Amino acid sequence: MFYPHDLMNDFAGAVGRHPDRPAIAYNGRTLTYSQLHAWARATGRRLGPRPGVVGVLASRSPATVAALLGILAAGGTYVPIDPAYPWPRRRALMSASGCATLIPPTDSTEPTEPGVRLVDLPSHAAEAGRVTAETDAVVVAGDDPAYILFTSGSTGAPKPVVTPRRAIAVVTGALRELFGLAPEDRVLQFASLNWDTCFEEILPTLTTGATLVFHDHAHSGSFHRMLRMIAAERITVLDLPSAFWHELVRHLVDEGATLPACVRLVVIGGEAVSAARLADWRALDTGGIRLVNTYGCTETTLITHAIDLHGPLAARGAGERVPTEPAAGGVRERVPMGRPLPHVRQHLGEDGELLVGGPSLALGYRGLPEATAERFVEVGSERYFRTGDRVGLAADGTLTHEGRLDHELKIRGIRVDPGEVEAQISGHPRVGAVAVAGVTVADHTTLAAYIVAGRPADGDTTTVPGRSADDDATLAADVRDYLRDRVPCHLVPSRITVVPELVYTASGKVDRAGSHRRYASATV
Amino acid sequence: MNVNAVSAVFQRVLENPEVRADSDFFVMGGDSLLATRVLSAIARTSGVELDFDDFLDAPTPSALAKKIASAGQDVNRA
Repeated sequence: MFYPHDLMNDFAGAVGRHPDRPAIAYNGRTLTYSQLHAWARATGRRLGPRPGVVGVLASRSPATVAALLGILAAGGTYVPIDPAYPWPRRRALMSASGCATLIPPTDSTEPTEPGVRLVDLPSHAAEAGRVTAETDAVVVAGDDPAYILFTSGSTGAPKPVVTPRRAIAVVTGALRELFGLAPEDRVLQFASLNWDTCFEEILPTLTTGATLVFHDHAHSGSFHRMLRMIAAERITVLDLPSAFWHELVRHLVDEGATLPACVRLVVIGGEAVSAARLADWRALDTGGIRLVNTYGCTETTLITHAIDLHGPLAARGAGERVPTEPAAGGVRERVPMGRPLPHVRQHLGEDGELLVGGPSLALGYRGLPEATAERFVEVGSERYFRTGDRVGLAADGTLTHEGRLDHELKIRGIRVDPGEVEAQISGHPRVGAVAVAGVTVADHTTLAAYIVAGRPADGDTTTVPGRSADDDATLAADVRDYLRDRVPCHLVPSRITVVPELVYTASGKVDRAGSHRRYASATV
Repeated sequence: MNVNAVSAVFQRVLENPEVRADSDFFVMGGDSLLATRVLSAIARTSGVELDFDDFLDAPTPSALAKKIASAGQDVNRA
């Protein structure tokens, strides 16, 4: 029995209204709502009531959606573990999340971890017809943890964010409204199933009776294939990282093309929207398509702020009035990040920091009470999350992003603390010192690492004399391989350069930006 | 597209004039997003639609030019 507003009640409602509509389309096949419901419940029964934290090696497939729904149905907590991550990273994520049970991919020989129970997902075909009308015995509450996801931490270890069931139920309802979803919608599954953005695609869709579409051509790297697939699959809703949307707009401009006419809504988010690409988009024949910019943090659950930037509803927002040409003096106008959604409370700190409160707040960082107390604070008697984002508030209530209060970066829409990458690189036995900076290459941000070779024996951080360019190239390649064995690819810097020394600030700390400025021209 | 034409695409996308025939795109600062620009430019110029896997498999101008040539022959035969 779920608490009255639980997400699983909304899913069951959609199953009841639309049992025979397609819930998921994949590779030309479909799963109906009643089939997906049966699969999820079979998974839940196999896990047993209240299975605790369940890791899922989340490949991009309908099986992962069945696992997610099955875990929630059983009253458990979902943790996606990217099967592409190096084993040490997966192990660290499982340990930090308290994962006691693991669902491996259907065809895997996953290494076993002491104390972790392996549960195979039931096959869809075998279980589809076997659901009876038995009452689910499990009782859940709004405060129960629904999922755990990770954000970058400066110490080198990712921080597990624990999100309660109440938050996903409230936000899923808010997003159904924001997106104006109807059962006829076909929503492309684009986001990695290992990041929370995928829940924006999955949960509003499956609680509406609409169809979630999986297709290999969404991720092939070829926009030509992707656009043909969107037309053939009659996709109506796209939810894209802003950085990817920037590339899509460039492609459409270069091709003199526009999106297929079936698309009615494009949702973007994850990092600041380029005013130049927005101007390009408006110049394309996209007037019938809603373009919605969104903002949110993992700690405040999916989306907290949104605004229509273009299309039929943009007149209701302020987005359409924003000038998109660089203003006089070369200062570029910022594209607004949005207004708070109805469930969101916001508060601006003295330094312009955005604080977000309301029912969508996470419970905190698992096992990290100090980090939790630092970022989840009381204002008045209300609990708020300190986003670390400095914002400006316009007279019409829209927010603009003015920068970060810390060093956090966005790499292809994913939050990265350069300190985490530095901590990982420092673990390499031949690295003496390291600085990691975000650098803008060709219109988007990538990571650059500057490393000073150290003596392996005594940990001395002085430069080894007599090093050759070949030694440097070997060390850089070695550090790259070392990282690839340990961390996800978004934490591997695009450029790794061995330098004689780093730049330090007056107080003796590594100056990341200064180190980058000194050596940037040598980084080829 | 020959090696020089592919090198020119790399140079433009990476904003780096020092691309050689054996320069690895993903070591020179290229990532999956910039890769889409290269793949779009190749498709536009040569009519050959390669994907990420092709590019990861052939990340230098010389290797990619060979891949485009052999894929182009397949297109012509089909």
